[in-house]
Amino acid sequence: MNAKEVMEIASFAGEILLSSGAEIFRVEDTITRICNSYGVECECFVMPTGFSTTVRNKNGEVYTTVKRIKNRSVDLHRVEMVNTFSRGLMEERASYKEAMDKLNSIKNMPYFSYRVQLVSAGFVALGFTKLFGGSFVDAFLAFLISMFIFYVKDFIQQYGFFQFLEFFISGLIVGLFSVIIGKLFANVSIDKVIIGAIMTLVPGVAITNGIKDALYGDFISSFARLIEATFIAIAIGLGVGVALILQISWV
Amino acid sequence: MMEFLLAFLGSFAGAILFNIERKNLIWAGICGGISWIVFKIIYIQTDRVVFSTFVAAVACGIYSEAMARRCKTPAFVFSIPGIYPLVPGITAYTTVRAIVDGRLVFAANKGLETIGTAGAIAFGVMLASTVFKFVYKVNEKYKNKPRFTS
Repeated sequence: MNAKEVMEIASFAGEILLSSGAEIFRVEDTITRICNSYGVECECFVMPTGFSTTVRNKNGEVYTTVKRIKNRSVDLHRVEMVNTFSRGLMEERASYKEAMDKLNSIKNMPYFSYRVQLVSAGFVALGFTKLFGGSFVDAFLAFLISMFIFYVKDFIQQYGFFQFLEFFISGLIVGLFSVIIGKLFANVSIDKVIIGAIMTLVPGVAITNGIKDALYGDFISSFARLIEATFIAIAIGLGVGVALILQISWV
Repeated sequence: MMEFLLAFLGSFAGAILFNIERKNLIWAGICGGISWIVFKIIYIQTDRVVFSTFVAAVACGIYSEAMARRCKTPAFVFSIPGIYPLVPGITAYTTVRAIVDGRLVFAANKGLETIGTAGAIAFGVMLASTVFKFVYKVNEKYKNKPRFTS
Protein backbone atom coordinates (compact mmCIF):
# COMPACT_ATOMS: atom_id res chain seq x y z
CA MET A 1 0.00 0.00 0.00
CA ASN A 2 1.37 3.42 -0.87
CA ALA A 3 1.62 6.39 1.44
CA LYS A 4 -1.22 8.25 -0.22
CA GLU A 5 -3.72 5.51 0.59
CA VAL A 6 -2.51 5.30 4.16
CA MET A 7 -2.99 9.03 4.46
CA GLU A 8 -6.54 8.76 3.13
CA ILE A 9 -7.46 6.10 5.66
CA ALA A 10 -5.89 8.02 8.52
CA SER A 11 -7.52 11.32 7.64
CA PHE A 12 -10.91 9.68 7.16
CA ALA A 13 -10.65 8.10 10.60
CA GLY A 14 -9.63 11.47 12.01
CA GLU A 15 -12.58 13.15 10.35
CA ILE A 16 -15.05 10.70 11.87
CA LEU A 17 -13.47 11.08 15.30
CA LEU A 18 -13.38 14.85 15.28
CA SER A 19 -16.94 15.23 14.02
CA SER A 20 -18.23 12.85 16.73
CA GLY A 21 -16.79 14.89 19.56
CA ALA A 22 -13.54 13.09 20.42
CA GLU A 23 -10.75 14.81 22.30
CA ILE A 24 -7.77 16.24 20.42
CA PHE A 25 -5.18 13.88 21.84
CA ARG A 26 -7.31 10.91 20.83
CA VAL A 27 -7.54 12.10 17.22
CA GLU A 28 -3.78 12.71 17.01
CA ASP A 29 -3.12 9.35 18.62
CA THR A 30 -5.36 7.51 16.20
CA ILE A 31 -3.93 9.14 13.07
CA THR A 32 -0.36 8.47 14.19
CA ARG A 33 -1.22 4.91 15.16
CA ILE A 34 -2.81 4.12 11.81
CA CYS A 35 0.15 5.55 9.89
CA ASN A 36 2.68 3.76 12.06
CA SER A 37 0.94 0.43 11.71
CA TYR A 38 1.48 0.69 7.92
CA GLY A 39 5.07 1.74 8.46
CA VAL A 40 4.70 5.35 7.28
CA GLU A 41 6.04 8.41 9.08
CA CYS A 42 3.41 10.93 10.02
CA GLU A 43 2.94 14.33 11.61
CA CYS A 44 -0.45 15.81 12.29
CA PHE A 45 -1.85 18.98 13.74
CA VAL A 46 -5.40 18.83 15.03
CA MET A 47 -7.75 21.58 16.10
CA PRO A 48 -11.46 21.34 16.87
CA THR A 49 -12.38 22.98 13.57
CA GLY A 50 -10.12 20.93 11.32
CA PHE A 51 -6.77 19.18 11.00
CA SER A 52 -3.86 18.70 8.66
CA THR A 53 -1.81 15.56 8.23
CA THR A 54 1.52 15.03 6.50
CA VAL A 55 2.86 11.59 5.75
CA ARG A 56 6.23 10.57 4.37
CA ASN A 57 7.14 7.15 3.07
CA LYS A 58 10.55 5.51 2.95
CA ASN A 59 11.41 6.96 -0.49
CA GLY A 60 10.98 10.47 0.87
CA GLU A 61 7.70 11.23 -0.92
CA VAL A 62 5.55 13.63 1.08
CA TYR A 63 1.77 13.98 0.99
CA THR A 64 -0.27 16.51 2.91
CA THR A 65 -3.98 16.84 3.42
CA VAL A 66 -6.13 19.41 5.18
CA LYS A 67 -9.63 18.60 6.42
CA ARG A 68 -12.10 21.16 7.60
CA ILE A 69 -14.73 19.93 10.08
CA LYS A 70 -17.98 21.85 9.92
CA ASN A 71 -20.55 19.70 11.69
CA ARG A 72 -19.78 18.55 15.17
CA SER A 73 -22.09 16.37 17.19
CA VAL A 74 -21.64 13.94 20.05
CA ASP A 75 -21.64 10.25 19.23
CA LEU A 76 -19.54 8.33 21.73
CA HIS A 77 -20.20 4.94 20.19
CA ARG A 78 -18.60 6.03 16.91
CA VAL A 79 -15.52 7.28 18.75
CA GLU A 80 -15.26 3.95 20.50
CA MET A 81 -15.59 2.01 17.23
CA VAL A 82 -12.86 4.01 15.45
CA ASN A 83 -10.65 3.56 18.50
CA THR A 84 -11.09 -0.19 18.38
CA PHE A 85 -10.56 -0.19 14.61
CA SER A 86 -7.23 1.63 14.84
CA ARG A 87 -6.01 -0.66 17.61
CA GLY A 88 -7.00 -3.65 15.49
CA LEU A 89 -4.80 -2.38 12.65
CA MET A 90 -1.73 -2.75 14.83
CA GLU A 91 -2.24 -6.49 14.95
CA GLU A 92 -3.60 -7.13 11.49
CA ARG A 93 -3.14 -4.77 8.54
CA ALA A 94 -6.26 -4.39 6.43
CA SER A 95 -6.10 -3.58 2.72
CA TYR A 96 -7.09 -0.12 1.50
CA LYS A 97 -10.54 -1.23 0.40
CA GLU A 98 -11.27 -3.19 3.56
CA ALA A 99 -10.23 -0.31 5.79
CA MET A 100 -12.27 2.26 3.85
CA ASP A 101 -15.32 -0.03 3.87
CA LYS A 102 -15.00 -0.52 7.60
CA LEU A 103 -14.73 3.23 8.23
CA ASN A 104 -17.65 3.95 5.91
CA SER A 105 -19.81 1.48 7.79
CA ILE A 106 -18.79 3.12 11.08
CA LYS A 107 -19.64 6.53 9.66
CA ASN A 108 -23.09 5.51 8.44
CA MET A 109 -23.89 3.38 11.46
CA PRO A 110 -27.31 4.26 12.82
CA TYR A 111 -27.49 3.14 16.36
CA PHE A 112 -30.60 4.27 18.16
CA SER A 113 -33.55 5.13 15.98
CA TYR A 114 -34.87 8.67 15.86
CA ARG A 115 -37.95 7.77 17.86
CA VAL A 116 -35.96 6.26 20.71
CA GLN A 117 -33.79 9.36 20.85
CA LEU A 118 -36.83 11.61 20.84
CA VAL A 119 -38.44 9.77 23.74
CA SER A 120 -35.19 9.61 25.69
CA ALA A 121 -34.76 13.38 25.25
CA GLY A 122 -38.13 13.60 26.96
CA PHE A 123 -37.07 11.26 29.75
CA VAL A 124 -33.95 13.34 30.47
CA ALA A 125 -36.22 16.30 31.15
CA LEU A 126 -38.70 14.20 33.12
CA GLY A 127 -36.02 12.75 35.39
CA PHE A 128 -34.31 16.03 36.14
CA THR A 129 -37.45 18.08 36.66
CA LYS A 130 -38.56 15.59 39.28
CA LEU A 131 -35.05 15.41 40.77
CA PHE A 132 -34.82 19.17 41.18
CA GLY A 133 -38.07 19.26 43.09
CA GLY A 134 -40.85 19.62 40.52
CA SER A 135 -44.23 17.94 40.77
CA PHE A 136 -45.46 15.20 38.46
CA VAL A 137 -47.35 17.72 36.32
CA ASP A 138 -44.18 19.81 35.90
CA ALA A 139 -42.21 16.72 34.95
CA PHE A 140 -44.76 15.69 32.36
CA LEU A 141 -44.83 19.16 30.80
CA ALA A 142 -41.03 19.24 30.67
CA PHE A 143 -41.17 15.83 28.99
CA LEU A 144 -43.37 17.20 26.19
CA ILE A 145 -41.40 20.43 25.75
CA SER A 146 -38.10 18.59 25.67
CA MET A 147 -39.34 16.25 22.95
CA PHE A 148 -40.55 19.21 20.95
CA ILE A 149 -37.26 21.10 21.15
CA PHE A 150 -35.34 17.97 20.21
CA TYR A 151 -37.43 17.85 17.04
CA VAL A 152 -36.98 21.57 16.31
CA LYS A 153 -33.23 21.44 16.93
CA ASP A 154 -32.87 18.55 14.52
CA PHE A 155 -34.99 20.36 11.97
CA ILE A 156 -32.83 23.49 12.09
CA GLN A 157 -29.66 21.41 12.03
CA GLN A 158 -30.66 19.87 8.72
CA TYR A 159 -30.69 23.29 7.08
CA GLY A 160 -27.23 23.97 8.45
CA PHE A 161 -27.61 27.41 9.99
CA PHE A 162 -24.96 28.46 12.42
CA GLN A 163 -24.92 26.54 15.66
CA PHE A 164 -25.93 29.24 18.09
CA LEU A 165 -29.22 29.94 16.34
CA GLU A 166 -30.37 26.41 17.20
CA PHE A 167 -29.63 26.93 20.85
CA PHE A 168 -31.14 30.39 20.93
CA ILE A 169 -34.37 29.20 19.34
CA SER A 170 -34.51 26.11 21.56
CA GLY A 171 -34.09 28.27 24.64
CA LEU A 172 -36.71 30.68 23.37
CA ILE A 173 -39.19 27.86 22.75
CA VAL A 174 -38.60 26.38 26.20
CA GLY A 175 -39.14 29.79 27.77
CA LEU A 176 -42.23 30.67 25.74
CA PHE A 177 -43.96 27.34 26.28
CA SER A 178 -43.26 27.37 30.00
CA VAL A 179 -44.52 30.93 30.32
CA ILE A 180 -47.70 30.16 28.42
CA ILE A 181 -48.28 27.02 30.49
CA GLY A 182 -47.64 29.00 33.64
CA LYS A 183 -50.37 31.41 32.56
CA LEU A 184 -52.88 28.68 31.80
CA PHE A 185 -52.38 26.49 34.86
CA ALA A 186 -51.84 28.25 38.16
CA ASN A 187 -50.20 25.37 40.05
CA VAL A 188 -47.29 24.79 37.66
CA SER A 189 -43.88 26.17 38.68
CA ILE A 190 -42.32 27.35 35.44
CA ASP A 191 -38.82 27.48 36.97
CA LYS A 192 -38.72 23.73 37.42
CA VAL A 193 -40.14 23.08 33.95
CA ILE A 194 -37.52 25.31 32.31
CA ILE A 195 -34.62 23.81 34.26
CA GLY A 196 -35.65 20.28 33.35
CA ALA A 197 -36.30 21.04 29.71
CA ILE A 198 -32.96 22.76 29.03
CA MET A 199 -31.01 19.79 30.43
CA THR A 200 -30.77 18.23 26.96
CA LEU A 201 -29.15 21.38 25.58
CA VAL A 202 -26.37 22.04 28.10
CA PRO A 203 -22.84 21.84 26.66
CA GLY A 204 -21.46 19.33 29.16
CA VAL A 205 -19.27 17.51 26.66
CA ALA A 206 -17.72 20.72 25.33
CA ILE A 207 -16.72 21.87 28.83
CA THR A 208 -15.28 18.50 29.87
CA ASN A 209 -13.40 18.11 26.61
CA GLY A 210 -12.12 21.68 26.87
CA ILE A 211 -10.57 21.02 30.26
CA LYS A 212 -9.29 17.62 29.14
CA ASP A 213 -7.53 19.17 26.13
CA ALA A 214 -5.87 21.73 28.39
CA LEU A 215 -4.62 18.97 30.67
CA TYR A 216 -3.05 17.20 27.71
CA GLY A 217 -1.37 20.42 26.54
CA ASP A 218 -3.57 21.39 23.57
CA PHE A 219 -4.24 24.90 24.78
CA ILE A 220 -5.60 26.37 21.54
CA SER A 221 -8.18 23.60 21.20
CA SER A 222 -9.08 23.86 24.84
CA PHE A 223 -9.71 27.56 24.47
CA ALA A 224 -11.78 27.01 21.33
CA ARG A 225 -13.99 24.45 23.05
CA LEU A 226 -14.47 26.51 26.18
CA ILE A 227 -15.46 29.49 24.03
CA GLU A 228 -17.91 27.26 22.17
CA ALA A 229 -19.41 26.08 25.45
CA THR A 230 -19.65 29.63 26.76
CA PHE A 231 -21.44 30.85 23.68
CA ILE A 232 -23.85 27.93 23.69
CA ALA A 233 -24.68 28.69 27.31
CA ILE A 234 -25.14 32.38 26.49
CA ALA A 235 -27.38 31.51 23.54
CA ILE A 236 -29.62 29.32 25.68
CA GLY A 237 -29.72 31.89 28.45
CA LEU A 238 -30.58 34.64 25.99
CA GLY A 239 -33.44 32.59 24.58
CA VAL A 240 -34.89 31.84 28.00
CA GLY A 241 -34.28 35.43 29.10
CA VAL A 242 -36.18 36.91 26.15
CA ALA A 243 -39.14 34.69 26.98
CA LEU A 244 -39.03 35.74 30.65
CA ILE A 245 -38.90 39.43 29.70
CA LEU A 246 -41.96 38.90 27.51
CA GLN A 247 -43.70 37.35 30.51
CA ILE A 248 -42.87 40.29 32.74
CA SER A 249 -44.01 42.95 30.29
CA TRP A 250 -47.06 40.90 29.45
CA VAL A 251 -48.43 40.93 32.99
CA MET B 1 -33.55 5.84 46.83
CA MET B 2 -36.18 7.65 44.82
CA GLU B 3 -33.63 10.32 43.94
CA PHE B 4 -31.11 7.68 42.92
CA LEU B 5 -33.67 6.23 40.51
CA LEU B 6 -34.49 9.66 39.07
CA ALA B 7 -30.83 10.53 38.52
CA PHE B 8 -30.38 7.08 37.04
CA LEU B 9 -33.26 7.70 34.63
CA GLY B 10 -31.85 11.05 33.57
CA SER B 11 -28.36 9.72 32.92
CA PHE B 12 -29.69 6.62 31.21
CA ALA B 13 -31.78 8.65 28.78
CA GLY B 14 -28.90 11.08 28.30
CA ALA B 15 -26.64 8.18 27.44
CA ILE B 16 -29.06 7.16 24.69
CA LEU B 17 -28.76 10.68 23.24
CA PHE B 18 -24.98 10.25 23.14
CA ASN B 19 -25.34 6.95 21.31
CA ILE B 20 -23.63 4.64 23.74
CA GLU B 21 -23.46 0.93 23.19
CA ARG B 22 -26.48 -0.91 24.55
CA LYS B 23 -24.72 -3.05 27.12
CA ASN B 24 -23.02 -0.02 28.69
CA LEU B 25 -26.17 2.06 29.06
CA ILE B 26 -27.12 0.73 32.46
CA TRP B 27 -23.65 1.32 33.93
CA ALA B 28 -23.71 4.88 32.64
CA GLY B 29 -27.04 5.38 34.36
CA ILE B 30 -25.69 4.03 37.65
CA CYS B 31 -22.79 6.47 37.34
CA GLY B 32 -25.30 9.34 37.26
CA GLY B 33 -27.08 7.93 40.29
CA ILE B 34 -23.84 7.61 42.27
CA SER B 35 -22.70 11.13 41.52
CA TRP B 36 -26.06 12.58 42.59
CA ILE B 37 -26.12 10.62 45.86
CA VAL B 38 -22.54 11.66 46.71
CA PHE B 39 -23.42 15.26 45.90
CA LYS B 40 -26.49 15.14 48.09
CA ILE B 41 -24.69 13.60 51.08
CA ILE B 42 -21.79 16.07 50.99
CA TYR B 43 -24.15 18.97 50.38
CA ILE B 44 -26.24 18.14 53.44
CA GLN B 45 -23.08 17.88 55.55
CA THR B 46 -21.22 20.99 54.38
CA ASP B 47 -23.74 23.24 52.62
CA ARG B 48 -21.16 24.21 49.95
CA VAL B 49 -22.36 23.71 46.37
CA VAL B 50 -19.06 23.92 44.49
CA PHE B 51 -17.16 21.72 46.93
CA SER B 52 -19.82 19.01 46.98
CA THR B 53 -19.99 19.07 43.19
CA PHE B 54 -16.24 18.60 43.08
CA VAL B 55 -16.35 15.58 45.40
CA ALA B 56 -19.22 14.08 43.43
CA ALA B 57 -17.33 14.58 40.18
CA VAL B 58 -14.28 12.84 41.64
CA ALA B 59 -16.51 9.92 42.68
CA CYS B 60 -17.98 9.82 39.18
CA GLY B 61 -14.49 9.82 37.65
CA ILE B 62 -13.26 7.00 39.88
CA TYR B 63 -16.32 4.92 39.13
CA SER B 64 -16.04 5.42 35.37
CA GLU B 65 -12.32 4.59 35.31
CA ALA B 66 -12.99 1.40 37.26
CA MET B 67 -15.83 0.45 34.93
CA ALA B 68 -13.68 1.26 31.91
CA ARG B 69 -11.11 -1.28 33.04
CA ARG B 70 -13.86 -3.85 33.57
CA CYS B 71 -15.83 -3.31 30.36
CA LYS B 72 -12.79 -2.54 28.16
CA THR B 73 -14.18 0.73 26.85
CA PRO B 74 -12.88 4.31 27.12
CA ALA B 75 -13.84 5.94 30.42
CA PHE B 76 -15.72 8.87 28.89
CA VAL B 77 -18.53 6.48 27.93
CA PHE B 78 -19.50 6.46 31.62
CA SER B 79 -18.26 9.80 32.87
CA ILE B 80 -20.04 12.05 30.36
CA PRO B 81 -23.57 10.78 31.12
CA GLY B 82 -22.54 10.47 34.77
CA ILE B 83 -21.96 14.19 35.26
CA TYR B 84 -25.41 15.04 33.90
CA PRO B 85 -27.10 15.40 37.32
CA LEU B 86 -24.31 17.71 38.52
CA VAL B 87 -24.60 20.21 35.66
CA PRO B 88 -25.50 23.57 37.25
CA GLY B 89 -28.87 23.97 35.57
CA ILE B 90 -30.57 25.60 38.54
CA THR B 91 -27.87 28.19 39.22
CA ALA B 92 -27.58 29.04 35.53
CA TYR B 93 -31.32 29.53 35.33
CA THR B 94 -31.33 31.62 38.50
CA THR B 95 -28.64 33.83 36.95
CA VAL B 96 -30.72 34.46 33.83
CA ARG B 97 -33.80 35.08 35.95
CA ALA B 98 -31.92 37.60 38.10
CA ILE B 99 -30.59 39.44 35.04
CA VAL B 100 -34.11 39.64 33.64
CA ASP B 101 -35.42 40.99 36.93
CA GLY B 102 -32.62 43.57 37.03
CA ARG B 103 -30.95 42.21 40.21
CA LEU B 104 -27.43 42.41 38.80
CA VAL B 105 -25.46 41.86 42.00
CA PHE B 106 -27.36 38.67 42.72
CA ALA B 107 -26.85 37.66 39.07
CA ALA B 108 -23.08 38.13 39.34
CA ASN B 109 -23.14 36.08 42.51
CA LYS B 110 -25.01 33.22 40.93
CA GLY B 111 -23.05 33.48 37.68
CA LEU B 112 -19.77 32.98 39.51
CA GLU B 113 -21.28 30.00 41.28
CA THR B 114 -22.30 28.54 37.90
CA ILE B 115 -18.80 28.95 36.46
CA GLY B 116 -17.27 27.51 39.61
CA THR B 117 -19.54 24.48 39.51
CA ALA B 118 -18.85 23.82 35.84
CA GLY B 119 -15.10 24.04 36.45
CA ALA B 120 -15.37 21.82 39.52
CA ILE B 121 -17.14 19.11 37.53
CA ALA B 122 -14.58 19.06 34.75
CA PHE B 123 -11.59 19.20 37.10
CA GLY B 124 -13.02 16.57 39.41
CA VAL B 125 -13.53 14.05 36.64
CA MET B 126 -10.15 14.78 35.08
CA LEU B 127 -8.36 14.62 38.42
CA ALA B 128 -9.79 11.20 39.15
CA SER B 129 -8.90 9.86 35.72
CA THR B 130 -5.36 11.27 35.77
CA VAL B 131 -4.63 9.89 39.24
CA PHE B 132 -6.09 6.56 38.20
CA LYS B 133 -3.89 6.43 35.10
CA PHE B 134 -0.83 7.42 37.12
CA VAL B 135 -1.40 4.73 39.72
CA TYR B 136 -2.02 2.19 36.97
CA LYS B 137 1.23 3.09 35.21
CA VAL B 138 3.29 3.04 38.40
CA ASN B 139 1.77 -0.30 39.26
CA GLU B 140 2.61 -1.66 35.84
CA LYS B 141 6.21 -0.49 36.12
CA TYR B 142 6.51 -1.98 39.56
CA LYS B 143 5.24 -5.32 38.34
CA ASN B 144 7.64 -5.47 35.39
CA LYS B 145 10.68 -4.48 37.42
CA PRO B 146 12.84 -7.45 38.44
CA ARG B 147 12.56 -7.75 42.18
CA PHE B 148 15.53 -8.18 44.41
CA THR B 149 14.70 -10.07 47.51
CA SER B 150 17.29 -10.39 50.18
